[in-house]
Amino acid sequence: MSAAEALHARWSPDNGVHEHVVFVADGIHCAGCVRNIEKAVNALPGIDAVRVNSVTARVSVDWQGRKGTELAQILDAVERAGFRPTPLAGAAAGADYRKERRTALKRFGLASLGMMQAMMYLTALYGVSDIDASMAQLMRVAGMVIVTPVLFYSGAPFLSGAWRDLRNRRLGMDVPVAFALVLAWLPSVFNTLRASGEVYFDSVGMFIFFLSAGRFAEMSIRHRSLSSAEAMARSLPAQVTRIDADGSRRKITADELVPGDRFSVPKGAVIAVDSQLAPDAPADGALLDESLITGEAAAARRRAGELIRGGSVNLGAPLVLVATAGVAQSTLASIVALLERAQADRPAIARVADRAASWFVSAILVLAAATAIAWYWFDPRMVFPAVLAVLVVTCPCALSLATPAALAAATLRLSRTGLLVTRVDALERLARIDTVVLDKTGTLTSGATAVNRVKLLGKPARDVVLAIAAALERDSAHPLAAAFAPHEKTEVRAEAVREFAGEGIEGHLAGQCWRLGRRSFVEALGSAGNVLPLVRKSDRDSAVYLGNSTGLMAAFEVGAALRPEAQGAVRALRLQGLDVMIASGDSEEAVQQAARMLGIKRARARMSPTDKTALLHELRAGGHRVFMIGDGINDGPVLATADVSCAMGHGSAIAQSAADLLLLHESLASLPLAVGTARRTLRVMRQNLIWALGYNLAAVPLAACGLISPWLAALGMSLSSLGVVLNARRLASAARAP
Amino acid sequence: MSISYLLVLLGLGVLGGSIWALFWAIDSGQYDDLEAQGRAILDSEDESEKPAAQPPKK
Repeated sequence: MSAAEALHARWSPDNGVHEHVVFVADGIHCAGCVRNIEKAVNALPGIDAVRVNSVTARVSVDWQGRKGTELAQILDAVERAGFRPTPLAGAAAGADYRKERRTALKRFGLASLGMMQAMMYLTALYGVSDIDASMAQLMRVAGMVIVTPVLFYSGAPFLSGAWRDLRNRRLGMDVPVAFALVLAWLPSVFNTLRASGEVYFDSVGMFIFFLSAGRFAEMSIRHRSLSSAEAMARSLPAQVTRIDADGSRRKITADELVPGDRFSVPKGAVIAVDSQLAPDAPADGALLDESLITGEAAAARRRAGELIRGGSVNLGAPLVLVATAGVAQSTLASIVALLERAQADRPAIARVADRAASWFVSAILVLAAATAIAWYWFDPRMVFPAVLAVLVVTCPCALSLATPAALAAATLRLSRTGLLVTRVDALERLARIDTVVLDKTGTLTSGATAVNRVKLLGKPARDVVLAIAAALERDSAHPLAAAFAPHEKTEVRAEAVREFAGEGIEGHLAGQCWRLGRRSFVEALGSAGNVLPLVRKSDRDSAVYLGNSTGLMAAFEVGAALRPEAQGAVRALRLQGLDVMIASGDSEEAVQQAARMLGIKRARARMSPTDKTALLHELRAGGHRVFMIGDGINDGPVLATADVSCAMGHGSAIAQSAADLLLLHESLASLPLAVGTARRTLRVMRQNLIWALGYNLAAVPLAACGLISPWLAALGMSLSSLGVVLNARRLASAARAP
Repeated sequence: MSISYLLVLLGLGVLGGSIWALFWAIDSGQYDDLEAQGRAILDSEDESEKPAAQPPKK
């Protein structure tokens, strides 16, 4: 088993009672295929749910493992239905993609070259009556020579798809398409052989050209949306060099690594598993590129004891690491599994569209037959072109592509900014929210501390007291010391610094003795009578005081630092018309202060998880749709109560996350982007559905009346699909918009 | 008129040639990654280090 296969999206939450697997089934491209696979798998015992996504070609199955159904049986059932199951993230899948892409390009290339050339020759036959008979025959033969290989090579997917559908006695999207192709090609060959009559080689060539263009676009979208997950999985090294206890180095496959193993990572290599620096590593730690996981481009430094996520690239000197998890338990595997879950699921709106598409195919065939009969009575010469036009123009690809293409593109866009969508319908729900509830600790604030407020109690100005405090704390290891570091000035130096554990710190600046710490400790330096009345009761021991022998000079309120991007993110969310509020378990003061800095009016403090859940219930009962953002560690039930939830992506805990969205790089700036993208996705999905339905409703009557020639029909149907795909692609590439 | 026959045949020949060229290009992997080459120019820092580290050839 390779490292990549260890990432295979099969897991069981309860040790074999329930099992879950996601794999790719080659050959899916329509609603009919989807239903057929679902039917085949559902026939097996103990199957709970089967979901098939026609765009990403993913099949996801939940089943009860102990009911005696083996994974092999499921794969077998899919295979018997006429599809080839392939592992998801294996090296084999990578090679398959390349092969698929090359083949699709060749098909498309042959069709475009052939179409151009066939058109060139065959236009000579259009409406020109004085063409030499032998010349006309030469053109027919040339057209046949060019278009026949185009039909059987470039058009092969449609012909074989239709054949598979017919053999399984169902109606897929390929049936009317292949029917139209053969219907145009056969009489043309017949007419060429008897050297007279109409030929439709140019229409066949053009139809195939547009069809393969559509297929190629569809394939690119599928590959791109998979690429985020699979680029990760595939970039993992299959082999690592393990360093054994006796110092010997041995190459082993990555999935043989177990927690505790030491392994070496050369410069520029990808780290296979979650790990830590070895204890004897250099003090300045490791320089890593984590962009694969977080989307964050800037290099990150990790010191001893800090988690190094598998999938990071070692930018610095060669490293010796200690594995903390196996491949399958590492962060990357969890991310891939979550992405798989999102991509295998399909939202309700897409399922409706799929069902509609399969009805649609039956309707088209009936309609084509009716057109044929009507024209037969009216004008037998028109039977052929009219039926052809109806079949071609109504190809329902646009309808079945409308929503999945949009969702795939939006998910891709968000994952590039470090925001992982773990449930596919999260975007739909996110588009409709009106209230944002933010947790404070760990969400609005990070682990770092900062000086949040300075109260001046003496003559020295704000920056002076900060510089003095910073000088005193410069070499201190106390957790609060870091809060003063940004205010340090090189010209202010403290001498003879002494630390009093639990009390504070003392040092000499410019000949004067200063103290920083508890109030009583600082006051002890001067005479007790010098205490200034400005200090109110509320400034309790939580504050840090600075003073010298003449009395107290300043009080600092030191607390958790707000994330630097929080202010901008909150403002952007409010500009999007959302009501932003804070619900925190922290103290009233801390919460009010954060709310003031962020300009948030509604803030509730001292809330237990139960209170938060109650608050969300209350908001939802009031008709609000709530987007809850928490740190994801201990607020799982709270997150689950919200309409949509978002959690900070912390290490390997993310696999258990109940959140719909995960902020992998923990930057709040992605939130407005997510809301904006979700809204645009919903808009694009609606546009796509309306466009696909409207096009068909408009085109079918015209085609049935014989007003659309076959080549125009080919153009129309391709443009409708292409329009849908391109409209969706806007989501993946467009700059941010409200 | 016979020149037309020749031209049609010639056209077919050119078509066949270009299809062969396209298939050859695809099979030799020239279309596999259209972005890597463009991005390679940004990676020049690593490239410039390598020759410097090697001893100059005489």
